[in-house]
Amino acid sequence: MRRKAKIGFYALTSCYGCQLQFAMIDELVQALEKIRIECWFMLDRESNENAKVDIALIEGSVSTEEEVELVKKIRENAKIVVAVGSCAVQGGVQSWEKDKPLEELWKTVYGDGKVKFKPKMAEPVSKYIKVDYNIYGCPPEKKDFIYALGTLLIDSWPEDIDYPVCLECRLKGNPCVLIEKGEPCLGPITRAGCDARCPSYGIACIGCRGAIGYDVAWFDSLARTFREKGLTKEEILERMKIFNAHNPKLEEMVEKVFQGVEE
Amino acid sequence: MNNVYIPITVDHIARVEGKGGVEILVGDDGVKEVRLNIIEGPRFFEAITLGKKLDEALAVYPRICSFCSAAHKLTAVEAAEKAIGFTPREEIQALREVLYIGDMIESHALHLYLLVLPDYLGYSGPLHMVDEYKKEIGIALDLKNLGSWIMEVLGSRAIHQENVVFGGFGKLPGKATLELMKKRLQEALPKAEYTFELFSKLEQYKEVEGPITHLAVKPRGDVYGIYGDYISASDGNEFPSEDYKEHIKEFVVEHSFAKHSHYHGKPFMVGAISRVVNHADKLYGKAKELYESHRNLLRPTNPFANNLAQALELVYFAERAIDLIDEALAKWPIRPRDEVEIKDGFGVSTTEAPRGILIYALEVKDGKVAYADIITPTAFNLAMLEEHVRMMAEKHYKDEPERLKYLTEMVVRAYDPCISCSVHVARL
Repeated sequence: MRRKAKIGFYALTSCYGCQLQFAMIDELVQALEKIRIECWFMLDRESNENAKVDIALIEGSVSTEEEVELVKKIRENAKIVVAVGSCAVQGGVQSWEKDKPLEELWKTVYGDGKVKFKPKMAEPVSKYIKVDYNIYGCPPEKKDFIYALGTLLIDSWPEDIDYPVCLECRLKGNPCVLIEKGEPCLGPITRAGCDARCPSYGIACIGCRGAIGYDVAWFDSLARTFREKGLTKEEILERMKIFNAHNPKLEEMVEKVFQGVEE
Repeated sequence: MNNVYIPITVDHIARVEGKGGVEILVGDDGVKEVRLNIIEGPRFFEAITLGKKLDEALAVYPRICSFCSAAHKLTAVEAAEKAIGFTPREEIQALREVLYIGDMIESHALHLYLLVLPDYLGYSGPLHMVDEYKKEIGIALDLKNLGSWIMEVLGSRAIHQENVVFGGFGKLPGKATLELMKKRLQEALPKAEYTFELFSKLEQYKEVEGPITHLAVKPRGDVYGIYGDYISASDGNEFPSEDYKEHIKEFVVEHSFAKHSHYHGKPFMVGAISRVVNHADKLYGKAKELYESHRNLLRPTNPFANNLAQALELVYFAERAIDLIDEALAKWPIRPRDEVEIKDGFGVSTTEAPRGILIYALEVKDGKVAYADIITPTAFNLAMLEEHVRMMAEKHYKDEPERLKYLTEMVVRAYDPCISCSVHVARL
C-alpha cells in the first residue's frame, strides 16, 4: 500500500480563514487515512516547519522579510506547493493600496512607533517562489480543497477554472445584479467556482476569487459598462483592485477604455 | 554565574488564530523578561480603507479575521449606519444578532474543543483525539457546524459574510428555514450543557490568580448580549462607548505588530469571563441556573475561567438566539432591506465579539471613509495576557523548559487570542 502523503499547512500574514475553512471540512477526519499532517500550527502543537512534505499549502500574503525566508524554506522542503486563498494567490485585500509607500501606511497606523520585525508591502507567494497550483477564494469553498487535494493525492493535476461567476449565476436563474439592478458587480471578470454565492443573495460580486486567468478577464469591457453607469475611472480601478491589485493587465485595460474620454 | 539569561522561546504558539510567539528570559534570580511576540505581518486595514467607498470598505473589514468575521462585519455596519444616521428596524436588529450569535457559537466551540481541550487530555491537537474522544469531537463538530450554518443562512457564508448591507440584508431566508434554525438550536442545547459540565471539571491554574480589571460592553435592553452603547468596568466605572479614547490608551511596543492597551494606565481584560463578571445579573434561563450553581468556578481573578465562561455562553446564546428568532417570526413577513441615504457623519459601534469588546469608529464623507479606528479584543488583552504569562513563568521557571512552554501556551490559549485581528489596528 502507498504510504500516507505528507502535508503541511503554513500561514503567512492573513485572517486565517483558509485554514479555518480547511479545518471545517468534516471529511478531513476520513482523509487522515490517506494523509499525515506534518505541520499545521493552527491545530497541532507538534508541528514541524522544517519537515519534508509532499504537498505544502500556504495561506497568507508575504508581508514581512521573515516571511520571504519562510516561503523559500517551504519550497525547498515540498514537492508540490499550493497557494491557498486570495492572500497567497493575489496578495489579498491588504494589497489594495500597494502603490502607496509602505512608510505612509505605517505612519497612519503605527505613528512613529517602531517594531523589531521588518514589515513589507503584501505580495503574492508566487512573487518569491514557484507555485505549482492555486486554490482561489476569500475564503476558498470547501469543495475547492477537496477537489484540489483529492486530485493531487491520486497523482493527477487539478484543472483551473477559466469561466466567470456570471456563468454559474445564469445557471441559477438569478436576476442580473449588474444589468437589472445596476450595481457594480464584478461577476463578469471573476473566476467562477462559488456557485455565484453573493449574486444569489442579491449582492454584487466583489471579486474575491480573483480575475480569471488565460487573458479572458475582460477588465476593459466591464469598465466600459461601469462607465456607462456613471462610475469614474478611479472608482472602477478601486473596485477592481480590491482582490486584483497585483494583476498586470488590470490598469492598462481600464486605461484603454478612458483614453481620450473627458470625465 | 550571575546574570546569565537563558531564553526560553516558543516561536509559533500552536492552536491559536494567528502568528505569535512567547519569549521568556530566565536568569539566576528568576524571570527577567517576558514578551509575547506578535509576528503576524501588518495589514494596515484603517489606512487602506481611507478614502474608499463605504460599501467596499465594509466588504474588506471582515477580512481582518476569519474566526470573527461576522463580528467585524456587523460592528462595522453598525458604526457606518450610526455615522449616516440610520437605525435598522427591530426585527432586522434581532436577525443580525442571531447572525452574530452564529459566530459566537462557532468560535467558542472551535476554541474550547479544538484549541483548549487537547492540552487537558494530553494531545498535541484535536486530529489525534478522533478515535478516543468520538463523542467530544462529534459535539465540537455539531456545535461548530450549527454556528457556521447560521452564518451561511443569514450572512451568505460562514467566513466573510456579504449578506449584511446598509439598511438590512441582501436577502432573508424563508420562514421555514428560520423555524428549522430554531429547532436546530433547541437540539444543540443539551450539547452546550454537556460542554459546560465538561469544562467545569478542568483545572484552573492557581499560579495566575490575582486581581483583574474587566471591561465589557453594557448590553442594550438590559438583557445579556452583544450590542451596547456603554462600556462598563469591574471597578464600577461606566462610560459612553464614544468616549473610549478618554479611558483606554493604545501604544506601540517593540516586540509586536499589535499594539497594547491600558485602561486608566493599567492592563485589563475583555472576553467571555469579563462579560460574565460585569453582567451575569442579566443572564436568564438555563445559563442563569448554571451560573448560580458554578459561581465559584467563574472567578473574576483567573484568566482560565474564560474557558468556562465561553461554555456558559454556548448555553446562553443558543437560548437567546431562539428568542430572537421568535421576535422576528412574530413580525413575519419581514422586508429585508430599507432604502438608506448615505449622509456625512461619525459613528462609533461597540459590540461583544467572541473574544471581547470590538470597537469601530468610522467617519463618512461623500460616501467615503474619512476616518477609521478599529480596536479589537486581542489588542485590548495583550498587555494583561503578557502579565499572566509572566506570572506563570515566575512560578515555573525552574521546571523543564518543555513544561514551562506548555503552561505558558495554555495561558495564551485561555485568552483565545485572535492574533490576526490584533495586528494592523488603530489609527493614532
